[in-house]
Amino acid sequence: MSLAKEFTKGLWEIVPPFRLVLGLCPTLAVTTSAENGMGMGLATTFVLVCSNLLVSLLRKVIPSKVRIAAYVVIIASFVVIVELMMQAYVFPLYQALGIFIPLIVVNCIILGRAEAFAGKNSPLPSIADGLGVGIGYTISLTVLGAFREILGNGTIWSHGLFWDGFEPFTFMVRAPGAFVALGCFLAMINLVSAKLDDRKRRAQS
Amino acid sequence: MRDIIKMLVVLTVICAVSGFSLALVHDVTREPIEYSRLKFVKEPAVKAVLSGYQNDPIKDRLVIPVGTDKKGKPVKLIVFPAKKDGKTFAVAFESAAGGYHGDIGVMVGVDINSKKLSGISIVSHTETPGLGARIIEPNFTDSFKGKSLDKDLGVSDISALSGATFSTKGVVTAVNKARATLDKYRDKMVQ
Repeated sequence: MSLAKEFTKGLWEIVPPFRLVLGLCPTLAVTTSAENGMGMGLATTFVLVCSNLLVSLLRKVIPSKVRIAAYVVIIASFVVIVELMMQAYVFPLYQALGIFIPLIVVNCIILGRAEAFAGKNSPLPSIADGLGVGIGYTISLTVLGAFREILGNGTIWSHGLFWDGFEPFTFMVRAPGAFVALGCFLAMINLVSAKLDDRKRRAQS
Repeated sequence: MRDIIKMLVVLTVICAVSGFSLALVHDVTREPIEYSRLKFVKEPAVKAVLSGYQNDPIKDRLVIPVGTDKKGKPVKLIVFPAKKDGKTFAVAFESAAGGYHGDIGVMVGVDINSKKLSGISIVSHTETPGLGARIIEPNFTDSFKGKSLDKDLGVSDISALSGATFSTKGVVTAVNKARATLDKYRDKMVQ
């Protein structure tokens, strides 16, 4: 498999959280605005790429019986690094994301990629895989955040969009709105991929 | 047996390396974290009570040791100086006193030369919403502006809140405490 393929599969084929339905907790909780979604996505991407690289480098050293423990230590270290860096240089974002930064540790995407990919492949493809999945996740969260922000707050990237009398649909930035938005996107993605599959099958026959 | 030893060694090494690198990152980021905490948590209050400065009061902050608390831990007072042409003309620092329910934290801005209040801002409180919580409103805090700290303030000097006597008194007491602090540490605040 080529590096490009490893990278692009994270953008469509297994894009989290729509295809690889993992990491739902931060998806639902922080996507109240496009900015928050993107911040969370980038933090996750950083941790994912670093942990994928390290896990892949150490894959022959780590005994398989204790691999999960080793992965968790590696992931947790990178999460703490991200947390400290965010506090130091982008404090408002840190305040907005709050508890969900430390909780990247238990984000199943990262452990999932370490276990399913990085633990079995060499460093370069692992980085490509991490980048692809991470960027896919970032885009998904940003789009989801933008969707909820536009409807629920009437703004995008904190810029007003609508006329003065616009009454925002605040339901969308609350917790239930997260489920509704996620459901709509899942349905849309499933519809599109069903169409694509159909076309492919017809082309073959 | 060899398996177990290998597991032990590998896990120990990974944890040790992780601990070491985290300590390193923690060390490097300690200063910027302290700065951004003050910047985003305290700066709005500092900006509300000081004006006309050309420096960054957060960056130029002074830390003055002011004795010890009940448990013997040293207490530090953080002073934010407002400078014009390199000279401190006003300072802001926090003071606290008991209100109706818990302590009220007040950021107090004082002009050094005239000893007049350049403004106060409530940083933290747990007063009753709708009653005591009105101490955060500009109507109330603005009435402290320009008051001289030559002597202790009384409730009659400012526009007290009706129905919230304890909260009003708490803020006044905090300002009077700030007066005592200023008298005691004035030389250290103006360097």
